[in-house]
Amino acid sequence: MSEQNELRRAVKSLETVRRAKDLLPSFFRKQEPNQSGGLAWAMVGISPEILYAFDIPVEWPENYSTLCASKLVSTQFIEQAEADGYSPDLCSYLLNNMGYVSRMMELGGTVPPEAPKGGMGSPTMLLSATVACDPRSKWFQSLSSRYMSDIPVFAFEAASPPYDTEVGDPNVQDNYKALLRDSLQNMVTFLSQQTGRQIDLARLRHAITVSHEQAKLIWEIHELRVAQPCPMGAEDFFSGCVIPMTYMTGQVESVDYLRRLRDELRDRVAKRIGVLKDERYRLLWVGLPPWYNLGFFNAIGDLGAVFPVETMYFTGPPVDADLSDPVEAIVERTWKRAEWANSCSTEHIPEHFVPCNQTPAGSGLIRSWVKKFKLDGAIMHRTRTCRAMSWGQVHIKNLLAEEGIPSLIIESDMGDPRNWNQSTMMAQVRGLLSTIDSVRKTGAKA
Amino acid sequence: MKLTGLALAKSLYEGRDQRARELKAEGRTVVGYLCNFAPIEIFEAAGLVPYRIRGDMRERATEANQYLETYGCPFVRNTFELALKNRYDFIDGLVMSHACDSVQRVYGIWTKYRPHAFTYLFNVPHTVTPASERFYINELKQFKAKVEAFVGKVIDDDALRSAIELCDGNRKLLTELYAMRQMDPPLISGTEMLELLIAGTGLPAAEFRTLLNEVKAEVQTRKTGPKAKSARLMFYGCINDDTTLVHLMEECSSNVVMDDTCIGVRGMLGSVGDTEAMHESLMRYYFRDFKCPRTYRDSGVKRFDYLIEAAKQWNAQGVVLYILSFCDTHKLDLVDVRRHLDSHGLPSLVLEDDYSVSAVESMRTRIEAFVETVA
Repeated sequence: MSEQNELRRAVKSLETVRRAKDLLPSFFRKQEPNQSGGLAWAMVGISPEILYAFDIPVEWPENYSTLCASKLVSTQFIEQAEADGYSPDLCSYLLNNMGYVSRMMELGGTVPPEAPKGGMGSPTMLLSATVACDPRSKWFQSLSSRYMSDIPVFAFEAASPPYDTEVGDPNVQDNYKALLRDSLQNMVTFLSQQTGRQIDLARLRHAITVSHEQAKLIWEIHELRVAQPCPMGAEDFFSGCVIPMTYMTGQVESVDYLRRLRDELRDRVAKRIGVLKDERYRLLWVGLPPWYNLGFFNAIGDLGAVFPVETMYFTGPPVDADLSDPVEAIVERTWKRAEWANSCSTEHIPEHFVPCNQTPAGSGLIRSWVKKFKLDGAIMHRTRTCRAMSWGQVHIKNLLAEEGIPSLIIESDMGDPRNWNQSTMMAQVRGLLSTIDSVRKTGAKA
Repeated sequence: MKLTGLALAKSLYEGRDQRARELKAEGRTVVGYLCNFAPIEIFEAAGLVPYRIRGDMRERATEANQYLETYGCPFVRNTFELALKNRYDFIDGLVMSHACDSVQRVYGIWTKYRPHAFTYLFNVPHTVTPASERFYINELKQFKAKVEAFVGKVIDDDALRSAIELCDGNRKLLTELYAMRQMDPPLISGTEMLELLIAGTGLPAAEFRTLLNEVKAEVQTRKTGPKAKSARLMFYGCINDDTTLVHLMEECSSNVVMDDTCIGVRGMLGSVGDTEAMHESLMRYYFRDFKCPRTYRDSGVKRFDYLIEAAKQWNAQGVVLYILSFCDTHKLDLVDVRRHLDSHGLPSLVLEDDYSVSAVESMRTRIEAFVETVA
């Protein structure tokens, strides 16, 4: 592994992002069980609005793994999981979580002292989501089988229509929507059994209204980043947008935060304040970031390059849904997002039927960003332990080359810093920027 | 001389796609399929020749790297490599199933660079619930409609019923052959069985029926069957469409008497059954009961009791766990499978492979040591 002193936290440009912990206090504290004693560990794909409607506190182990990575303690947990027999090929978020729990059990149930924010609250239920990738389908199954056999698991299901599916066919629509609807209803039933409470539909309706407002703000932020100079780069996006838009869907605190962020961006655009004083290159970021080294984006910024757009944690434009039946509203908005994603994506599209306002970008959409964001190049992060989000990068690289856009693929991981090599990667980045210069001078295609 | 029985199975195995190419030359329409969530009965009933996409462990990836990441399922990468090299130029259609991330992600890229007259990604949920079963049945109906549009005729109930009965008959014969492996020595070796199974994945069901009947008669009467060896082993894990590893295990003084893989017990035995409610029956066989680890089925290790039971019935003394690099779902189950086998006194050996013949040969010493341990 490279020297850890090469791993740096991000230097943020935006005041709102710098204050994220203060502005989003409910997320950044260790969660405690509520009056009924319930506390969920949940995966992205579980609707936070439904948890809110049940008033269930929640920890998100995937996010906690990114926190462990950023605090440079993930390696210890990952190695603990490997010692327990889990393959180093497996998702580093998953390994971090397995290692964390294994270590806790070793300590007789005490939170490991190295765990950030005092650890996660202990779960009374595990809410798995089978969307997006294979390891997420099995993660909590393994966790329960190995370490937490007394904690009930619910596996949430949704299937994404392939790129060539006729999404306008009513039979197709009905099938995909019915599976999601039934799965949401099954989750409501499970949560009722676990908490002894019925879902508060008024509270759910309120949360969905809030999340719609949130989606509008996220889209505005996305569009504001088109500006030259770019008012917000990837270091601020990953540090300051992922949590409010992914894990705090439907929460007023998140909307207030995003509104403040939107206003700050508007102001910067009006005043032509960019991330960089001298913006010479505009790059697309493809894939997951190295959470243990978000300062990498600053290092690239020092070379005059900014990232106005990323493929991960993309939401797409906001969609309306009738709120009279709030569970059905989640189904409708999810389907509309999937339809939109299919309509503007081509042969490569990740699983995108996710009921938490995420719409991973497919190849056609990414191609359209070249002109929209005036991109000069792309950097793709091939994450060894997350093939689901890496597969397709070579293909996207080929498509971008057809647009005259050079790309660089760097190899490492999102949560495990052991294979990070800053000096090699920076040399690769300099090579990419040099290629962009050459393309500009000669007009040659990448 | 016309080959029959085991000799024919071996010839078909070694000839790979030769029979499918002959059928294509005779005017038949061939559909390649990857993973077995889409029922072959639909192809049979539509008059299509089903051909299970085979990789080639002797083929190194060269062209695939221009389109696909190097990190990822080596089997899927290998099949895509063969597609780019036009090794599947005899197939008219391509059906993949959403078996795993690798297949789901490669589908679009494959169909862009190697388009076919008919392509379909058969979507499969990850949990087994009444809701997901309904989804599968509706997906099956939509798939059937697409196949009908492709062949230009309706697949009527009688044709589908006949196809189910034909395929179930083959499964029954396979089950009988597997029962002959319970004997000591087994009447058919693991290598012979795998040659037969792989040969069957490239044949129309009626031809496979004839072959199975020939093999059954032959192994019951031959004088020169397998000899009893030092250990009886079970083979568990990822897709194995090449006999090299099983042959190596049998060279290392073991009888491979049972398996749990998709070209084997997991995907080719059992029975669709009830031909009144055909869609439900197909769902049950291809989805509910198909124990691919990509499908979530409760937690805990008791979900692997069937392995313990099989080991008892076939008197297996140890289990070889065959895992392809980057196979997340098998790798996650692996830890629990081993714990469960251990708790029942069944030793196991993990063999991780990158889907290449050279990797298999390097396993010889480990297999020999394992056989000595369990014998």
